[in-house]
Amino acid sequence: MGDYALLYILFAPFAGAIALIFVSNRQAMLVRGIAAGAALVSLLVSLYLFFAYNHMKGGFQFVQRFEWSRQLGISLHLGVDGIGTPLVLASSILLFAGIFVSWHIKDRTKEFYIWLLILAAATIGVFMSLDLFFLFFFYEMSVIPMYLLLGMWGSHTKKYNEMTDPDGLKQRDSVGFIFNFGSNSKEYAAMKLVLFLSAFAIVALMGILLIYKYSGLNTFDILVLREQAKLMNIPVLGTTLDKIIWLLIFFGFASIAPLWPLHSWSPVGHAAAPAATSMLHAGVLMKLGHFSIIRVAFEILPETTRELMPIAAVLCMFSIVYGGFVEFYAKDTKYVIGYSSSSHMGYVFLGMAALDYISLTGAVMYMFAHAMATGMLFAMAGWVYDQTHSRDIPSLGGLSNRMPFISGCFVVACMASIGVPGTVNFIAEVMIIVGSWNKYPFQVIVAVVGIVLTLAYLFKMMRGLFYGPMDQKYSHAHDAVAVADRLPLLIMITVSIGFFFFPMHLYYVVRSGVDPLIAKITRVVPVASQERETLGVKREARADSSPQNLAALPGDVLPLTPYASRSDQ
Amino acid sequence: MTFAFTMSPSDLLLLLPEILLTSWLCLILIIDFSFPRLPNEQLAYFTIAGLVATLGCLAWFDITGITGTLFANMFALDRMALFFKMFIVGSTILVILASIDYIHRFKFFRGEYYFLIVMSALGMMFMASANDLLSVFVALEFSTIGFYVLVAYLREDMASNEAGIKFFILGIFAAGLLAYGISLVYGETGKLVFSDMKAAQATPGLAIGFLLIFGALGFKIGAVPFHSWIPDTYHGSPTPVTAFLSIAPKAAAFAILLRMFLVALATFKPVWVLLIVAVSILSMTYGNIVAIAQKNMKRLLAYSGIAQIGNVLIGLATGTKMGSDAMLFYLLTYLFANLGAFAIIIAVSEAIGSEEIDDYSGLGRRSPFLAFSMLVFLLSLAGVPPLAGFIGKLYIFVAAMKEGLYALITVGLINIVISLYYYLIVVKKMYITEPRDSSPLKVSGPIKVVLYVCLAGTLTIGIYPQPFTDWVVSAILTFSNLADPTASLPVPSTVIPFGG
Repeated sequence: MGDYALLYILFAPFAGAIALIFVSNRQAMLVRGIAAGAALVSLLVSLYLFFAYNHMKGGFQFVQRFEWSRQLGISLHLGVDGIGTPLVLASSILLFAGIFVSWHIKDRTKEFYIWLLILAAATIGVFMSLDLFFLFFFYEMSVIPMYLLLGMWGSHTKKYNEMTDPDGLKQRDSVGFIFNFGSNSKEYAAMKLVLFLSAFAIVALMGILLIYKYSGLNTFDILVLREQAKLMNIPVLGTTLDKIIWLLIFFGFASIAPLWPLHSWSPVGHAAAPAATSMLHAGVLMKLGHFSIIRVAFEILPETTRELMPIAAVLCMFSIVYGGFVEFYAKDTKYVIGYSSSSHMGYVFLGMAALDYISLTGAVMYMFAHAMATGMLFAMAGWVYDQTHSRDIPSLGGLSNRMPFISGCFVVACMASIGVPGTVNFIAEVMIIVGSWNKYPFQVIVAVVGIVLTLAYLFKMMRGLFYGPMDQKYSHAHDAVAVADRLPLLIMITVSIGFFFFPMHLYYVVRSGVDPLIAKITRVVPVASQERETLGVKREARADSSPQNLAALPGDVLPLTPYASRSDQ
Repeated sequence: MTFAFTMSPSDLLLLLPEILLTSWLCLILIIDFSFPRLPNEQLAYFTIAGLVATLGCLAWFDITGITGTLFANMFALDRMALFFKMFIVGSTILVILASIDYIHRFKFFRGEYYFLIVMSALGMMFMASANDLLSVFVALEFSTIGFYVLVAYLREDMASNEAGIKFFILGIFAAGLLAYGISLVYGETGKLVFSDMKAAQATPGLAIGFLLIFGALGFKIGAVPFHSWIPDTYHGSPTPVTAFLSIAPKAAAFAILLRMFLVALATFKPVWVLLIVAVSILSMTYGNIVAIAQKNMKRLLAYSGIAQIGNVLIGLATGTKMGSDAMLFYLLTYLFANLGAFAIIIAVSEAIGSEEIDDYSGLGRRSPFLAFSMLVFLLSLAGVPPLAGFIGKLYIFVAAMKEGLYALITVGLINIVISLYYYLIVVKKMYITEPRDSSPLKVSGPIKVVLYVCLAGTLTIGIYPQPFTDWVVSAILTFSNLADPTASLPVPSTVIPFGG
């Protein structure tokens, strides 16, 4: 397998989707089996990829390159670095889990799995693209299946003024009422999501085309562009070209992340989506935004990133706090989780904005950790909805009697989402906070407030769903008993807890991807060399790794202590 | 100008595809008259056999590199002409396949229907080769006469008659513009062959003349502001004719536009770029915005077609080789997506007798195959990966980006989002809205073949475009030699690697 690992991961879901076309919907088990088999191949190979990734060597590994269009300078150039590897793993875990979460879908099962597989494969494709064209290709490809998944298998959200409080009184959620334009249909959510993301995708495409033109290299290859593209100091419209490109790329991709003013599609979309789709969407699709910004803006325009990244530091505060407050008042389970995801993505932006070795490593690990946590939450919200046909928190309650397993898992998922020690989220959060403290102390305080908010609303939701008195009309609700129903939750819990106790491989892998980037952006040498030496890393191995290799760095380089990576040196 | 009509037998070879098709045309008519009881399908398959032979002949020319000019440069058979001829013949084959089901709606003259379609195709093949203004006029009118009849072929249908009248009056008007424009250009330059006009001086008469010619061709391609006939004519015509009308004449007119702008007017590029940019922006924006309000599938595709033509014009506005490559490539993607969509309209209207978008409700349940194909074609038209339309749009944008046409690209990109909206409205009807009547739909064999071909084309170009980009690049390569001012003109006779 070895070299072709990425191809297996990427094309197994596609192959599964194609195979499903030829299966009849009446053979439901065969349909599920094919989907699960395709996802399993992807999952196993991603596990291999994750553990076979050589973090001593760093850089892009498992590289595959096929020429695709000579005229346009496009090649199918695949490869993963330390940032892409864990995200590929997260995607394939969530895909595998998502297949089991949607085990009970009766309506057009085959079509559902086809679109789910395409969605996941496209997402995986972005994480391993080393070509701007294919990055955009897979990015845009992941948006369209969402329309069908939301529209065909989604559910209408209730109108806010139709939600009831525990006394049976109608309530009006002012925030949602204003920003949702009164439309709560799944068609509306799906259309809004697709148009919003496509509109911003073309903004990013404009940036990509500008890079293509002004680099003059007639190639979309990221590795070539980052070495050779000279985009700095070209005056345009009173500013410089690199700034314009950077802003186009940043805001284009930040919409899917979703950064604060561009987030409005996300809660609506999550609330309307079927469980597995929400899982994939909140779990990995949102990370496409951060990942693409890292891959395109950080790699190709490092200098500009250093100048302009404070934008993200400002906006991420709004993401965190705004999301947190809306969740606190929202009455719809999926709406709460959706907003919590967009709030948590603010932490990732904070970690990225600080441009520090520790904080960016934390941000990438947080993406991985959050994928598991939010995946669990959405899976269980989906289960509760399937059983009770309600997502209205005030009208639910006391379900822990009916579904002890689910409520137990829900506690774990909440803990993971909050970042309680014992889950990998804790490590990641601490790294983001510690890493950004020197540069953005105020934002860190906001982030900590955000954690408190998370704790408050998740506990509120947990209480509202599982504890307190139960309405008798929900007495028919079932727990997840079958293996197929418990498997996805157990997988995600295992991953979430397992990486808390054994985080070092994940850390090293991510770090090997973060180091060269930050070294290039901040021109501050990492201290990883010292850390690794204490762990018995051989000298030769370090010599291979470019970030530690001072000669490879342009300009004057100042070795600093780990937490003092300032850009003004 | 000296006309040297000394034709050798090898010169005739260049006309072989046209000669073949003309004789087949006569055969179709003779067979139709001689065997009045012959089932229509058989005549259709007979017609297709001739077209396939022509296509094979064209492919042979393309592979062996048989090119040249005839009649003192009036008729140019370069690889671009071959590309367009294959394009036209290919689309004619698909249109005839798609018509087999539809033809029972015609009360009279069923056999002549095939005759007229092939006749128009023949005219368009001449358009693809037309290398001077006279042959442009003759070929263009030759192809349009067939369409005048075809558009009004549903004799009992008011809409079809209205469409015919509209198309006829505006078509005649366009022909008048063309003739007037040609006379002005000839008066100013004394030349008719495109490649002879390179040295022409910029005079008001020449400018007006070319503007008039552009108007007539703009009518053919249906660009704003020459689009007014499109919605009603598309709506009223028999659907296979609409499908044909929406693809082949546009491609043929683009062949002429390419020769005119990139050869004859190469020196005036800074001037005409502004014109094309304006027309392109208007077409894209108008077509897409008006398409949002449409309730009828054919009208929707008519307006979307106007917008698509705006996209193709971006390629023309670049005025470069890469832009021309991108135009050809885009037309190829447009052929499969648009023809496929029209084939589905035929299939659906055969099954449920309606072309309204509302009646597509629940198509995803009634016929998963039709709905999936429609999804693919519409998303390809919108430009969504991994379908052909995405690569086509990207190719055009990259070419425009190299020329620095930022405004045009921005408008084009915004229009992608607008168009996505109305295409998704149709997708919503097909997949999300529940059907009023959930009986499954039957799809006939010939339509299935058309859909398979179009699906294969759309997906193949989207996933692996390299052979197709190579093809269009080589097609424009010989053409650009022709455009090269240093190349010796006129080419006296043919160069044929005949028998080795």
